[in-house]
Amino acid sequence: MVQGKPSGRLGRRGVLKAGAALGAIGAAQISSPFIVKALGEQPFKIGFVDPLTGSLSLLAVSEVQGAHYAVDEINKKGGIAGREVQLFVEDSANDVGTGVEKIRELIDKDHVDVTMGDVNSAIAYAISQVATEKGILHIVPGGHTDPITGKDCAWNVFRICNTTSMDANAISEILIKKFGKRWYFITPDYAYGHTLQAAFVKNLMKAGGTYEAELLPIANSDFSASLIRAKAYKPNVLLNNMGGLAQIDCMKQFVQFGMDKDMALGGALFEIESVLAVPPTAQAGWWDMEWWWDQPGVPYVKEFVTGIVDRYKKPCSARHWFGYVGIYSFKLAVEKAKSTKAIDLAHTLEGMELPPEIALQPGKVFYRAGDHELMPNIFAGEVHPPAANEPYNLFTVADLVPGDQAQPLAETGCHMTYPS
Amino acid sequence: MSGMARAQTQAPAAERPLLILAGIWVVLIAAPFWMPLVGGYTSLASRILVIGLAAMSLNFLIGFTGVVSFGHAAYFGLGVYGAGMILRYIAPSTPLAVIAGILLGGIVGSAVGALICRRRGIYFALVTIAFQEVFYYIAYKWDSVTGGFDGLRGFQRQPIHFGLFTLDIQKNDLAFYYFVLAVFAIVVGFMGFVLRSPFGRTLLAVRENERRARFLGIPVDRHIWLAFTISSFCIGAAGALYALLNNFADPSSLYTDLSGELVIMCVLGGMRSFWGPLLGAAVFEVLQDYISSQTVNWLFFIGLIFVLVVMFFPRGLLGVFRRRSAA
Repeated sequence: MVQGKPSGRLGRRGVLKAGAALGAIGAAQISSPFIVKALGEQPFKIGFVDPLTGSLSLLAVSEVQGAHYAVDEINKKGGIAGREVQLFVEDSANDVGTGVEKIRELIDKDHVDVTMGDVNSAIAYAISQVATEKGILHIVPGGHTDPITGKDCAWNVFRICNTTSMDANAISEILIKKFGKRWYFITPDYAYGHTLQAAFVKNLMKAGGTYEAELLPIANSDFSASLIRAKAYKPNVLLNNMGGLAQIDCMKQFVQFGMDKDMALGGALFEIESVLAVPPTAQAGWWDMEWWWDQPGVPYVKEFVTGIVDRYKKPCSARHWFGYVGIYSFKLAVEKAKSTKAIDLAHTLEGMELPPEIALQPGKVFYRAGDHELMPNIFAGEVHPPAANEPYNLFTVADLVPGDQAQPLAETGCHMTYPS
Repeated sequence: MSGMARAQTQAPAAERPLLILAGIWVVLIAAPFWMPLVGGYTSLASRILVIGLAAMSLNFLIGFTGVVSFGHAAYFGLGVYGAGMILRYIAPSTPLAVIAGILLGGIVGSAVGALICRRRGIYFALVTIAFQEVFYYIAYKWDSVTGGFDGLRGFQRQPIHFGLFTLDIQKNDLAFYYFVLAVFAIVVGFMGFVLRSPFGRTLLAVRENERRARFLGIPVDRHIWLAFTISSFCIGAAGALYALLNNFADPSSLYTDLSGELVIMCVLGGMRSFWGPLLGAAVFEVLQDYISSQTVNWLFFIGLIFVLVVMFFPRGLLGVFRRRSAA
């Protein structure tokens, strides 16, 4: 039986202190509901899930920096519809289950108004589904796999980066013309890799080419066996579809094996974060950039690039732009719709054109109504070692391919439906 | 729990375990109401229950039979996929999904247990890891059925129809929490019942001195196999609930990391206590939830906490309380 008298460890003072603490907590709990805040006093909360640890962390960090940069700019100018913007960032650790848990935490605990994420296509795919289940507007800044805005498109999900098909279509013809039709793929074994390789293969088959391919785990680090097989196949081009640290490791080993003398390099994405991390001999090949910092004569680009470089002491990448556009898209939608309801925001974003200070590139950049995919330009060109005194001048743009042209709506497989 | 504690407690304090038990259930039943006051939320409470159930199931084997499995996430993950695939491919029925998860985890665990129950110590642990890797790679590579690395999407837990009324666990987080609590109660009640039975006492005998148990004529291998099987059925139930919690299944639910985390939870809470792993799971999940929102280096802190617990509280958190109350 529990004894009736207090134990020796808990004295009178202890009881008084505990009582005072409980009283204070209780008072705070009781008093808070009586304070009704005006809408303008309540912050506009944005939840952002990205793999800040793991093999894609380099890219994720840049996206989050771009988002923070936009949030600070917006708050300096009075916030979104007069409300201060708060950014809640959670690490998905490059793991799908963790990503799903994190977005639920943001929605259920932090009560965010809108959500963003993830660099990892599989996580982006899964958390978009959670956002749809919860009826929250969600923007995918940098997860490329096609079904997100293709066959599994949803009324509340928008995407900034290109689909894998758009990226593959923009560079395939260049690779075939420059190097030939015998290709070897090294591809990550998940959503992004599957759809990217399928898009390349489709284009290669149309041109009558041949290929061999290898599917490897997303965070693979030893490519020796795959590279030996690639060397034996004697392809014209090695398409390195890996991402982040895995792509960097693959490139380093490619150069160590002396394979840069035997075959060309190319593929969809070789982002500036990755290009900077490989030896100069691996800074080569023909690739897409989804946004490029060096655009002489295009308004507002220089100010944005200088701002990012000065603040973060690193090059301004497409990932910074993705994060930046994501945050501003919410602002544009809320202020135009005069609402924060997901359904109103989704209708407003459909077809919305980004103003030049956000688009930061020539031409019309807009969210395509039929699939909710942003239609920017794709910067196809050649990666090379940096020019003298210009450490970030690593890429020469050869062609600007409009997104709408790279993949017409009819090819996406999206049939958009709204909740009744 | 009460069985274990009761056996070690003297007659004048016989009612204490019942009071503690009642206290635990009051805390669990009231969790959705008090958790928001301390920064929690209902789905975190559900997650703690689910992971806590998984850790308690593993502890049935580690703490009460004395056999260490480092691959128990396999049967948890099979429970996840069992429930997910029923909802995705067969029928939109929550009870069917839960039963399928329990059966898939349990039956496979039973088969694996039959193969490995003669191994002991490090060899037993290594074989459990090997089998876990097998199931992980099946889930990872069988893209067309399991969704591969991307996971199995496109299913949702369904409301449960009771004839006169419907429990909407799909949209109502509170209703889902109580559904999880009900399944938790049934499974935990079953484990408690087994541990209080003569069979449960025999498991303790095997844990304490296997050779003596064998000399007494106890078929030790068969008992270990049965304990492995029961543990797998129970962790399969936790897996099925996890699929319903996330509306999602992915290979990380049967990966080595989760097995390790479950062992950490058992050690953290106290392996010799029935409720210890639930406390360990609660501490682990809450810390992970909080620290991961503060820093990207959250795994470092989780590891540090584990090291500190092993060094300074080798009997776990409940072990400390018990020692104090004994003093």
